Amino acid sequence: MNYFKTIINGIVKENPTFVLLLGMCPTLATTTSAINGLGMGVATMFVLICSNTFISLLKNLIPDGVRIPCYIVVIASFVTLLQMLMQAYVPDLYKTLGIFIPLIVVNCIILGRAEAFAAKNNVLASICDGIGIGIGFTIALTLLGFVRELLGNGAVFGYRIFPESMNMLVFVLAPGAFITLGLLMAVVNSIKNRKA
Amino acid sequence: MNMALVLTLIAVVAAGLLAWVNNVTTGPIEAINNAAIENGIKSVILGDRDIKFTVEDPVEREGFIFHNVNDMNGNLLGTAVESTDKNGFGGALKVMVGFDPEGVILGYTVLEHSETPGLGAQADGWFRQKSADVKEQPLVVNVLLGAPEKPGNHNIIGMNPGDDLMTVSKDGGQVDAITASTITSKAFLRAVNAAYKAVFGYTAADAVSGASSQN
Repeated sequence: MNYFKTIINGIVKENPTFVLLLGMCPTLATTTSAINGLGMGVATMFVLICSNTFISLLKNLIPDGVRIPCYIVVIASFVTLLQMLMQAYVPDLYKTLGIFIPLIVVNCIILGRAEAFAAKNNVLASICDGIGIGIGFTIALTLLGFVRELLGNGAVFGYRIFPESMNMLVFVLAPGAFITLGLLMAVVNSIKNRKA
Repeated sequence: MNMALVLTLIAVVAAGLLAWVNNVTTGPIEAINNAAIENGIKSVILGDRDIKFTVEDPVEREGFIFHNVNDMNGNLLGTAVESTDKNGFGGALKVMVGFDPEGVILGYTVLEHSETPGLGAQADGWFRQKSADVKEQPLVVNVLLGAPEKPGNHNIIGMNPGDDLMTVSKDGGQVDAITASTITSKAFLRAVNAAYKAVFGYTAADAVSGASSQN
């Protein structure tokens, strides 16, 4: 198994947002600005790497019949851990993302990778998969947040580019999330098709 | 290996780990929350003034939390009130408002909210900005898109809810709502009025509530 290939696979070929269409709820809800998307992506990546590592370590110990409850316990523990650590050490980010952090538990990307990858591969490959999928998710969320913030708020990472009177508020709201996601996916697919 | 045993084992280890991290982070989290309250009190009462002050122990009454702030001679500088309105656009909106002993608003801060980013979430800055600051834009934009609108008034600092009608201008009040966020603005002003009423007993908005007045 080529570890580098595994990472690239998660970013490009199996990008969780643009290709697998997993974890749509946090994708649409948290990307109102680029920094929120980035924060959510990094938080998810942390949980994903930890859970992949541990589930891969425990895969021979966990009987098939109770594997899903075991995975959920592992994932939920890491999410709770992350929540407490963020609250204590990065309170500003926690304030913005607070209500979305517990939702990482039910983010299907994490359970999906545990089931589809970590349960069948060795620890190192699973870590690489976590990194790859995590980076893929982070890039997608940041990109979405970037476009929505730019069009809806006239700013990038909080720095104003257009004056406030030119804001298209719909992009900050829920409908804008769907529109942006659809357009970005079209762009990604058209690039991919041209290559093929 | 026994299924129940494995699941129990994993749960026990996870619980142990969480208990340990909880133990480690409780201190810092509490410190951050206390610091947030303390900074809030300082900013809503003192603003930019640099005065030594002491804060009395908070008093909780009817869902409001009061912090009386005294100067070093024991004279009351003002009262910071934590007030919550349940009907913001996205849920509860919790603010802290500072009143001087006469009821003039010295400052405010939004403690908790779940308003829409870019819209209602501006409440933390909107109601303290002088309107001219908001409308300021580059000359080229003025030429392209027309001159800025006639400045409105949404700076509540220095207002007194006992004398000034602090409702949105749509309801005949003296405060301009955040653009496209009337629900948030109303919730915010209700929280401010409720805070004032909790300290001073009445507000100017009471006198006209229910009446469809126009000024």
